[in-house]
Amino acid sequence: MKLLFRNLVLSCILTAWFACALSMAQAPPTPVVTGHLVLNTDAAHAGSSVKAAVVAEVAPGYHINDHVPSLDYLIPTELKLEAAEPLSLGSISYPKGSPQKFSFLDTPISVYQGKLLVGAALKVAAGAKPGEYTLKGTLHYQACNDHACLAPTNLAVAVTVNIVPRSEPVKHVNSDVFSAIKFN
Amino acid sequence: MTKRIQVVSGAVLAVAVAIGFYFFNARWLSPAPRQVKAAVNYPIAPDFSVTDINGARLALADYKGKVVLLDFWATWCGPCRIEIPWFVQLQQKYRDQGFEVVGVAMEDTPEAVNEFYQQFHLNYPVALGDSQVAARYGGIGGLPTSFLIGRDGRVYSEHTGTTSSEVFEGEIQQLLSGKPGVELASFSPVGDPQEIDIGTPEEANPDVPGVDISKLSPAELADFKKQLDQTKCSCGCKFTVLQCRKVDTACSTSRQMAREALKQFQASKGKDVKPAT
Repeated sequence: MKLLFRNLVLSCILTAWFACALSMAQAPPTPVVTGHLVLNTDAAHAGSSVKAAVVAEVAPGYHINDHVPSLDYLIPTELKLEAAEPLSLGSISYPKGSPQKFSFLDTPISVYQGKLLVGAALKVAAGAKPGEYTLKGTLHYQACNDHACLAPTNLAVAVTVNIVPRSEPVKHVNSDVFSAIKFN
Repeated sequence: MTKRIQVVSGAVLAVAVAIGFYFFNARWLSPAPRQVKAAVNYPIAPDFSVTDINGARLALADYKGKVVLLDFWATWCGPCRIEIPWFVQLQQKYRDQGFEVVGVAMEDTPEAVNEFYQQFHLNYPVALGDSQVAARYGGIGGLPTSFLIGRDGRVYSEHTGTTSSEVFEGEIQQLLSGKPGVELASFSPVGDPQEIDIGTPEEANPDVPGVDISKLSPAELADFKKQLDQTKCSCGCKFTVLQCRKVDTACSTSRQMAREALKQFQASKGKDVKPAT
């Protein structure tokens, strides 16, 4: 009886795991990429430089293409920010993807998987008045797993930039995010 | 012996529990997998009419009587690109037996599709698809998605993601050998009933899709279209009957209204009236 119970428990664990993995593979997680926009300071002064970053997560089992895709037909991952006055947009810094081999290609391609950090440099106009300004944008991506692809789509992101008088101190935040980004 | 019975019993129980886990997880933990709606036996392939990349009209109804592999794909989709050369070969191999591949590229612009078409020597029609065409086939969640349609216009299988060429070829052979309207035991229908009338070849026309206008003269056709364009469709689409016929060829309301209108129109002209189906 002990043997029966042991076999049953072990078989159940293994087969249940396999069954879960199989059924999870049937439907893509929605959405495949989640994330948000953060700043490197809790506020900003007129005339200062601010850094923003999209902190995104690609669902397990999926990948999105490098900003500089390995093949010309692949759709690049691209961050587009709408920096309205008094904010102006500088350069955007993408990480280098990691080369991965997939069953549908003979050679590895550079992709983003798991955590993705995309940085953006911003400038606050010298004459900016104190107040809250919204920085909006989209991370455009096209995701695939090892055997199928999803249509290109966008992750909408937004953050509030709080511009304060020079008399008020500004504190650095999200250092773990910004220290991991190699800005251009 | 007792030990053997215990092992076998354990294995049987484990499989039963695993199947239970699978269905529980698939139905309640994962989003429901997209499936084509099934008829009592197999679902009728939803019709669509588009213009292919060579400028010719491409309507699924025109392929009735043939086995069709309807492939939703995109040039930016790596897993799709691996299947295309297989489809070219299958088209070449089985075309004479009544097999056709129809490609629907889910892209906004034709440039990349045209280039791909030339580069990979596609030997079957390809058109650009849109959300309307995709919606008729359940929304097309992932690419590639391929549907095997039998000679009777019914969908016998659906494959999302790269599928081996052997699987496609095996299914094509079975469908080619099957008699129209006769179920093939090797396929399993799924989903809820949904019948969509794909009409006769005469009804597949760009002027008034779903209505046989072949007996109308050009002048009569113009009058008839004008009449349909002055009648509001009652399906709730806010279009006229003519507009609804063109933008939603699967709409049974506008089809019935147009067919009734044709009957009256022909009667007023003293023409033979073909009963609406």
